[in-house]
Amino acid sequence: MTVSVRNNVHVKGTGERAMLFAHGFGCDQNMWRFVAPAFEKDFKTVLFDHVGAGGSDLSAYDPAKYSTLSGYADDVVEIGRDLGLQGAVFVGHSVSSMVGVLASLKAPAMFSSLVLVGPSARYIDDGDYKGGFSEKQIDELLEFLEANHMGWSAQMAPAIMGNADRPELGEELTNSFCRTDPDIARDFARVTFTSDSRLDLSKVTAPTLILQCSEDIIASTEVGEYVQRSIPGSKLVVLAATGHCPNLSAPDEVISAMRAFV
Amino acid sequence: MKSSRRCAPLSEMMQNPPSSSIIEDLEDLYENAPCGYLSLEPSGRIFKVNRTLSNWIGCAPDQLVGKRLHDLLSIAGRMFYETHIAPLLRMQGFFNEVALDLITEKGERLPVIANATERRDAEGRAISTRITLLKATDRRRYERQLLDARDQSRSAEAAAQISLQNERETSELREQFIAVLGHDLRNPLASISAGARILLRTPKNEAETRVLRMMETTVVRMSGLIDDILDFARGRLGGGVTLSRDAERALGPVLQQVVDELRAAMPDRKIESDFQIADPVNCDRSRIGQLVSNLLGNALTHGASDKPVRVFASTDHGVFELWVANAGDPIPEAAMDQLFQPFFRGQVRTSEQGLGLGLHIASEIAKAHEGTLTVKSSADETRFTFLMPLRS
Repeated sequence: MTVSVRNNVHVKGTGERAMLFAHGFGCDQNMWRFVAPAFEKDFKTVLFDHVGAGGSDLSAYDPAKYSTLSGYADDVVEIGRDLGLQGAVFVGHSVSSMVGVLASLKAPAMFSSLVLVGPSARYIDDGDYKGGFSEKQIDELLEFLEANHMGWSAQMAPAIMGNADRPELGEELTNSFCRTDPDIARDFARVTFTSDSRLDLSKVTAPTLILQCSEDIIASTEVGEYVQRSIPGSKLVVLAATGHCPNLSAPDEVISAMRAFV
Repeated sequence: MKSSRRCAPLSEMMQNPPSSSIIEDLEDLYENAPCGYLSLEPSGRIFKVNRTLSNWIGCAPDQLVGKRLHDLLSIAGRMFYETHIAPLLRMQGFFNEVALDLITEKGERLPVIANATERRDAEGRAISTRITLLKATDRRRYERQLLDARDQSRSAEAAAQISLQNERETSELREQFIAVLGHDLRNPLASISAGARILLRTPKNEAETRVLRMMETTVVRMSGLIDDILDFARGRLGGGVTLSRDAERALGPVLQQVVDELRAAMPDRKIESDFQIADPVNCDRSRIGQLVSNLLGNALTHGASDKPVRVFASTDHGVFELWVANAGDPIPEAAMDQLFQPFFRGQVRTSEQGLGLGLHIASEIAKAHEGTLTVKSSADETRFTFLMPLRS
């Protein structure tokens, strides 16, 4: 199986320099559908799904490999090698910000700059560090996911497929949006919310832009500022956009902040 | 699609359709609907909420306006909403049947099912989000039970797998032990046999000679048992029955020797033999000897003691045939299927019971020679027949 099939890699755009977009926990490469097209004129854009999400090959899922963010970073490096990426821009959302940090440490020549959207170095509070969540709350989330995926992935898609008047709805939903294998999603949630990347941040050498949303309950402004202080020479931009997914809720603001950086 | 009569206006169906005197109060429908209504700004802030929902929460509607949806949800619900639901809503414009927990003013959880649609402007930008919430306490409890049942069956299966694996390992160890034991038993047996032969060289009285002969035949029988154990253990350990074929040397004398040994061991039993082996038989001679020894041993144990056991072997029309027959009670129908299974033992006195490996090993030897071992049993006789093609 090729890397490109395994991770459902899609390459578009005409530019010389490549821009690779990595989605976070909860969705797939559709996360970038309002942002990536804006860069197709000046960049070669690369989108992919993490194994377990979207159109990736579920049979490639290896619980041991993907029990840490490092396993996901290895995949990013493999995709980069497969495409011969050099000096590319890595754009990561949420947990994939840290996947990008790890990938840039594993393959320094591959990514010459990083854009981290809503990053968090660690979600669980630890002493003076305020990640925003307690261990118990993360356990609750894992249980919660279980309750929701039951009606979500297996049953919702066929119900909409049955909408004979608008078949394109079912078609698009089942093929794309945020489709995640429930068991893998739970693993990914555990890996995401129990990760701790604080010690990796200071090793980053690539110029880094941090996009921080207002009122983001997943990654607070405090956390964004911590990431900025820890990555040498990094730049923090606080967006007017609220929530955790400015790439969907305020794509224009994200695009212009990214343009100013690259 | 065929249109349903249900949707046709009543005026088309009846001359004087009844008209209702009650007019639906839309304001009241919104406020006191049997479900909660919530309208959000694109930023996630609540700008309208109905009375039903505010009653559930335990706050006046105007106290909820300006708050965020997050403020009504459990922490896990907030995280799920931000990572899954908000993106989905933005991408496809709606979501259905999402399980959420509202946290009431008293701090209690209220399980709900949420559906939502996003209102958009001409450019596709979000204007607002409308959310409908239905109470789902019972449903959630039932789903929880389903999940618990699934988890229980998963852990039961995992436990079963582990114990199966342990059993396999133990059983392999046991078979290795049997193989080693069988091998080690041969040496002392050889000493006993040699000792008996040495003693027989010097003149003995009749009683002493009889005892020594009996010792020799016992050694022969025990060697046979050990061979069976070793073959069985080897078969289980993946070695199978190994052959060293030899078409040059005659098979007849080997068969004759087996018969002679058994006659000597059981002088009061009659064994009639008839060997007509004209063509060379490409077989492992000691294995065929083991096969016939096992079949004869079986016939002598289970056959009527006052009737002869007959053994016949021939080469005819390219086939080597060997059969052993005995009189006595037929093999019960129910036992037929398991006859060649290892450790199967028929109804005999405990003192006569073997390991139940004899017929199993015999059938394994038959298979290794690309031959067949079959049985026919009636009130007249029970006959085991081994057939093997000569060409191989």
